[in-house]
Amino acid sequence: MTEQFDPRYGIPPRRSEDPAAKRYSRLVFEQQRKRNAEIPVRPSNISWFEKILMEEAGEGDARSPIGYFCNMVPQELILAMGAKPVRLGCGNPALVQPGDEVFSGEICPVAKASFASFLDEKSLASRCDLLIVPTSCDAKKKLGEVLADFAPTFVLNLPPEQDANRYGASMASELERMTRFISKQLGLKLKRRALLKEIEAAQTRTAIVRSLQDARSEKPAALSIRDLYVILQASFAGVPLVDWNREADKVLQEVNSYQVDRKRMRPRLVLTGAPIIWPNFKLLNLIEECGADVVADTLCTGIQSCFDPVVIDEKSKSAIYRALAQRYIFASPCPCFISQATRLSRILDLVKEHRADGVLHYGLRLCQLFDMEVYRLGAIMRQKKIPFTTIRTDYSLEDTEQLRVRLEAFLETVWEEL
Amino acid sequence: MISAGIDSGSTTTKVVILEDHAVRVSLVVPTGDFPQKTARDIYQRALEEASLKEGDVTVIATTGYGRRLIGFGDIVVTEIKACATGVLFDVKTDETIHTIIDVGGQDTKVMAIDDEGEIEDFSMNDKCAAGTGRFIEMLALKLGLSYEECANLALQSEKMIPMNATCAVFAESEVVGLVARGESKADIAAAAHQAIASRIRSMVRRVGQRGSYCFVGGGAKNPALVKALEENLGHSVFVPPNAQVLAAIGAAVGGRQRFEKIQKRENHE
Repeated sequence: MTEQFDPRYGIPPRRSEDPAAKRYSRLVFEQQRKRNAEIPVRPSNISWFEKILMEEAGEGDARSPIGYFCNMVPQELILAMGAKPVRLGCGNPALVQPGDEVFSGEICPVAKASFASFLDEKSLASRCDLLIVPTSCDAKKKLGEVLADFAPTFVLNLPPEQDANRYGASMASELERMTRFISKQLGLKLKRRALLKEIEAAQTRTAIVRSLQDARSEKPAALSIRDLYVILQASFAGVPLVDWNREADKVLQEVNSYQVDRKRMRPRLVLTGAPIIWPNFKLLNLIEECGADVVADTLCTGIQSCFDPVVIDEKSKSAIYRALAQRYIFASPCPCFISQATRLSRILDLVKEHRADGVLHYGLRLCQLFDMEVYRLGAIMRQKKIPFTTIRTDYSLEDTEQLRVRLEAFLETVWEEL
Repeated sequence: MISAGIDSGSTTTKVVILEDHAVRVSLVVPTGDFPQKTARDIYQRALEEASLKEGDVTVIATTGYGRRLIGFGDIVVTEIKACATGVLFDVKTDETIHTIIDVGGQDTKVMAIDDEGEIEDFSMNDKCAAGTGRFIEMLALKLGLSYEECANLALQSEKMIPMNATCAVFAESEVVGLVARGESKADIAAAAHQAIASRIRSMVRRVGQRGSYCFVGGGAKNPALVKALEENLGHSVFVPPNAQVLAAIGAAVGGRQRFEKIQKRENHE
């Protein structure tokens, strides 16, 4: 296997203790947890999921942590090898500024905050034994190169188009290459039977998520979108999927038995656009505070992230790799792929399926991929007479009130259409 | 029916008492440090001027940045809705208004109105002061002028100097540079008005540029900005005489409409 990074140009990893940033980052966690505590109806076991996101769980886990970015890396592969897959895309606003001290201000907050978590030697990110970074945007491509100094890093090369006929075989071999890299670096073996078991657990997760989605669509009051995101994102923190499935199933039972006592009059929205990552729930807070329900999404950190199952029709290793690529790469909602038609169809389907009253697009400042797609998305929504607006912002809270006005005004127009 | 609209803005607080289809009283005061208290006081004053008691007012609607801070309001209306409603209710022009431009102290909004008089689309400036009244206020300060002086001086300029900055902070340093270059205050003031007008033009184009135009908010009281905006849009803009209180009027109207809707529904039941 050829080396992705030339060791001649390796430099020592940059570390810098910043106790103030650490305190602030903790505060942000606590603040969002408090804000979530005000949600009127919550699952009784929500703290199980919250503790995972607060990094309060997982002590004494002997598995080797593997940090990965984006939703294109099959967790099943990592779990089957006996390692702990930890999704690293960082949503903590407190870490943007420390990231700014190293990178330029013109880099997106996800990349900056994610990188900043490596500056602290004791962070979860820094404790990872290996990193996997897909080439899902320019920032990620280069982040992979930067992080190669911090831990052995595998850059997962993605195809430009979601065309499985053209790229199916090469993506399957790319995933196989990733497995070999993990084996070589950490001395772990991939057993087919273990992989099938993990795939089955992930299929169960998908089934639960789909049921939750359907139940919520019928009665959004039963489960806040913020709690659902906490639940979903907890499954990316490396907990064994069987444990997550057990707890999420309890949530599903509660949601199913939730009795609706009054008619829900809130506008129903489909949320699309950039990832919303715990604890940066700024937009979700606003949506719910302004009196609207998110009934469906296309977010890679939201419901969509777990919506597609891995479909196994043949049990050979190469067939399994192809099936994983099919789900994680060719069914991904990421705008890094051509063409936008996939995402547009998905959004229109969701609007219809979940009787949505409008579509809300979240643009993360400095993420060109989502931003560029708004051009066609807005026009198509107008054409289809679906109320649409886009909220462009970053991790900072200073524009909250302006965003509130925009959102409320949008909801007023949605109401008028009703 | 008597309804009240209170527009608690970042710079000024406006109150309007509406009786059926006529504005009985309208007042404007600086918001100051205590928006709630200012709103309470100005509302009391408006009641006195209209010789009304609190009980005479059927519905109080609030809008503006402080819309949720005002504890005694019945209904909250966003500035965007309030502004459009106010313009469509109160402004009489020969041509149908299709674009409303509202330049406030803290933000600028552009609303596109369809043929039915509904908001079709709107755009708002980003979180910074670019394209707002504050931008000119800050530059006036830098030039050692009052806001009014800055506007009047801008009207006298006959020279066009390009000003690139749309960010108020960067614009300040650009002004320092222009002063150092020996440009006159009048020309710099005119350039600042041009810069903000150009920014507003982009917002107008974003929602689909369509006349006729109605220009409201505190910014509409600035003749230099009106002139710069007309040049940028290549079209005259209509400035209603009560441009600053239209959102308060719109809140009062919107509040009344909602009240009537609720009453109608209750009568049905």
